[in-house]
Amino acid sequence: MSQTDEDLIAEYQLGNVEAFEDLFQRYKGPILNFALRVLSNRADAEDVTAEVFFKLYTKKHMYQPVAKFKTWIFSIAHNACMTVFRKQKRLIPMWFRKDGEGGYESWDVPDDQDSPVEELKKKEQQKMVRKAIQQLSKDQREALILREYHQMNYAQIAEVMSCTVDNVKVLIYRARTCLRDRLAL
Amino acid sequence: MSEHEKFKILVSAFIDGETTPEEEAAIKEHIVACPSCQKLLKDTRCLSSLLKEWPDEPLSPDSECEIKKNLKSQEGPKMKKKSFLKKTGIAIFMVVIVGVALRYYGQRALQGRLKDSMAYLQTAQTTSSRQRGQITQVAEKVEMAVSPVRIARSLGKSLTTRDAARRSRTDDIADQYEPYYLQAEMKSKRFEEQYDGSIQEQSQGIMIDVNGNFISGYEKFNTEQYDRIYENPFLKAMENPLSTFSIDVDTASYSNVRRFLNNNQMPPQDAVRIEELINYFSYDYPLPQGEHPFSITTKAAVCPWNQDHDIALVGLQGKILEEEEIPPSNLVFLIDVSGSMNSSNKLPLLKSAFNLLVDQLGANDRVALVVYSGAAGVILESTPGDQKMTILNAINTLNAGGSTAGGSGIKLAYEIAAKNMIEGGNNRVILATDGDFNVGVSSDGELTRLIEGKRDQGVFLTVLGFGMGNYKDSRMEKLADKGNGNYSYIDTLKEAKKVLVHELGSTIFTIAKDVKIQIEFNPAQVKAYRLIGYENRMLAKEDFNDDTKDAGELGAGHTVTAIYEIVPVASDETFGNVDDLVYQKQQVTGGDDLMTVKFRYKEPDDDMSQLITQSIQKDAVVEKLTGDFEFVVAVAEFGLLLRDSKYKGAANYDEILRKARASQGKDAFGYRSEFISLVEKAKAIDMRSLNKGIQFKGRN
Repeated sequence: MSQTDEDLIAEYQLGNVEAFEDLFQRYKGPILNFALRVLSNRADAEDVTAEVFFKLYTKKHMYQPVAKFKTWIFSIAHNACMTVFRKQKRLIPMWFRKDGEGGYESWDVPDDQDSPVEELKKKEQQKMVRKAIQQLSKDQREALILREYHQMNYAQIAEVMSCTVDNVKVLIYRARTCLRDRLAL
Repeated sequence: MSEHEKFKILVSAFIDGETTPEEEAAIKEHIVACPSCQKLLKDTRCLSSLLKEWPDEPLSPDSECEIKKNLKSQEGPKMKKKSFLKKTGIAIFMVVIVGVALRYYGQRALQGRLKDSMAYLQTAQTTSSRQRGQITQVAEKVEMAVSPVRIARSLGKSLTTRDAARRSRTDDIADQYEPYYLQAEMKSKRFEEQYDGSIQEQSQGIMIDVNGNFISGYEKFNTEQYDRIYENPFLKAMENPLSTFSIDVDTASYSNVRRFLNNNQMPPQDAVRIEELINYFSYDYPLPQGEHPFSITTKAAVCPWNQDHDIALVGLQGKILEEEEIPPSNLVFLIDVSGSMNSSNKLPLLKSAFNLLVDQLGANDRVALVVYSGAAGVILESTPGDQKMTILNAINTLNAGGSTAGGSGIKLAYEIAAKNMIEGGNNRVILATDGDFNVGVSSDGELTRLIEGKRDQGVFLTVLGFGMGNYKDSRMEKLADKGNGNYSYIDTLKEAKKVLVHELGSTIFTIAKDVKIQIEFNPAQVKAYRLIGYENRMLAKEDFNDDTKDAGELGAGHTVTAIYEIVPVASDETFGNVDDLVYQKQQVTGGDDLMTVKFRYKEPDDDMSQLITQSIQKDAVVEKLTGDFEFVVAVAEFGLLLRDSKYKGAANYDEILRKARASQGKDAFGYRSEFISLVEKAKAIDMRSLNKGIQFKGRN
């Protein structure tokens, strides 16, 4: 039987670690991929994922049933990403521009079903999309990711990023404009 | 921002469905005449689908393990260690596994896929092979293609020699948590060569479980079982004068530790609950006289592993029931008969154990038998205890894997208990399982609520664990706690005898419930103190006087022992630094007491607690440990070594052996000499204390 996230967290708050495991399995993918896209760095993304579930594991009582669980856990992820950004300021900005270094172009797995030509085109396209997204400002990037890859509505995004709905609207618009320019659409 | 730009923003919001009806109307009106906005709409939609081309990536099993390990260690996530060697090792190992699988199944199709994956692996390794991630991806890919278990399943074969037809769903669940190398049915020599029945220390050895997921060492084996134990630290008596905890009479941890040592392995540190090691043994505390159901003994001595500290002991002895005082019992056995219970250390052992138990019941007792294995059913309606043949027949003809009709197991068991309730008697459900908890209630929360509800109606719960791979040890313990009961782990017939014969009275008769202890330390004599064990029994200080807060139960004849390591006030040690309070002045009233010990307990069918108080003087501290006190301290010291505790001081195996031998005493059943042999085993296999340099034959 399928329980809602809110059911599971309520159970976990009562002490049932099985519920935690269920939540972990449900959200490990989304959280990891959110962090991957926002941070463009696998090691950092995995750190963020670990941090998010650590917080969930130890601070389960921080969750109040007024909010949806999804927005809550993503706001934890958002905060974790912000921490990473603050640390990153000390790193050389070029780090994320080089191919195959800390980035994840190297993680590509060829799709057996594509012909070599198709595959190459797809890979090129993916690479361009990724590069373009990486070059957005972090707020625009995050808002866009939450919208396009996690299907959150503006209200939820505003909650996760701690800003207003109008901000979200503008961020997404600007992100899309930048991307359209870069990808020559 | 220009007017036109505002429209463009609206278009973007419109695509996301975030516009009000008015805004929507405005856009529709504008866009009819504006080709650039029309293009914008189209392009943005194109963009969305282009973005979707970027696929999600999975969390690699290694990372998942790492994260779970961090959770368990509760130290927070660390920076990932770039263990390139580990990844290469895994990749190479997968190839080995594939080789083994091929020898087993030798299918051409398989070989073809293997060649592809091998080729990929090789190219991966020769090209940018420094990439950590690449190897992981490769390993995952190879794993997915050629996982031997998947192959086996797809070929309809069982990977073990156990008859595939007899495997039930619960077997699959059990398999997930009991790694291959622990299953007795694993007759295959090949696998024995690979796995060799040994549980390596962490990060050595690589195993796979049923889904082809990697388990390094016994991390997977270890991860889901034990709650992490955070040892109680030293607390300053001035700032934290009250130490409050619930008693614990469970002994499962000792059986568990024994099982590891008998398999020549050190037990996992979190499996060692020191209070359960100490409480496994019985001590010669005086029997209670007077109105209270237990007597209190207090002792103090110099601490053997740290000469500057003292040890204080608080012991409870529960009263033994006289013949005429033994209440009639209404017992319901709830037995797991899933296929996984078939091995010799499970259902057969259980049957022998229950034979022993039934032997001791009388005409006033009642026994019912409920089994569950997916579905549940009543094998035996509640029967008087003197109809032994009927009862024993029902037990002895139990077969694992049998299916039965009926409702959910535990609800059924409690219903029968309630139906045959004996007023003022001992009403109890005895759950016997190998850890797979499919008792028919859909969630853990529901199960807990059910048990708590029944407990309030007067039905207690005893949990007997059989032969499990330690999975859900913490779950069983919690269940027994919630159900006002106790939890024992039965690994041998000897242990079955102990729990169900020699100590049956203690196991099934409760003489006091919700027993709590609160100790106030006197800062004039004690600088700091540390409670050894009871980490998952700690209570908030307000809980002591709160009768609604659940605590442990005391069985007839049970003893409970708690020991504190005490730093005397004259010591130079410092423990943390807290600023003095501005608005409160602390006044120490002085005196010669080390501490005052308070107990609260309830009669088994009462809801109001009663209070007993006793204090320990500082001149009670003796230089030399003698008798049972010495044995208790030896066991505690052993626990500290097994946990590799940071408070172990100068604890060492030789000292433990000396003390244990000296205080062995009567030892009618040989439990203490068994302890001594376990200590010797641990001494031999404990790698952590091997720093004596090069040793010579005959010169140890």
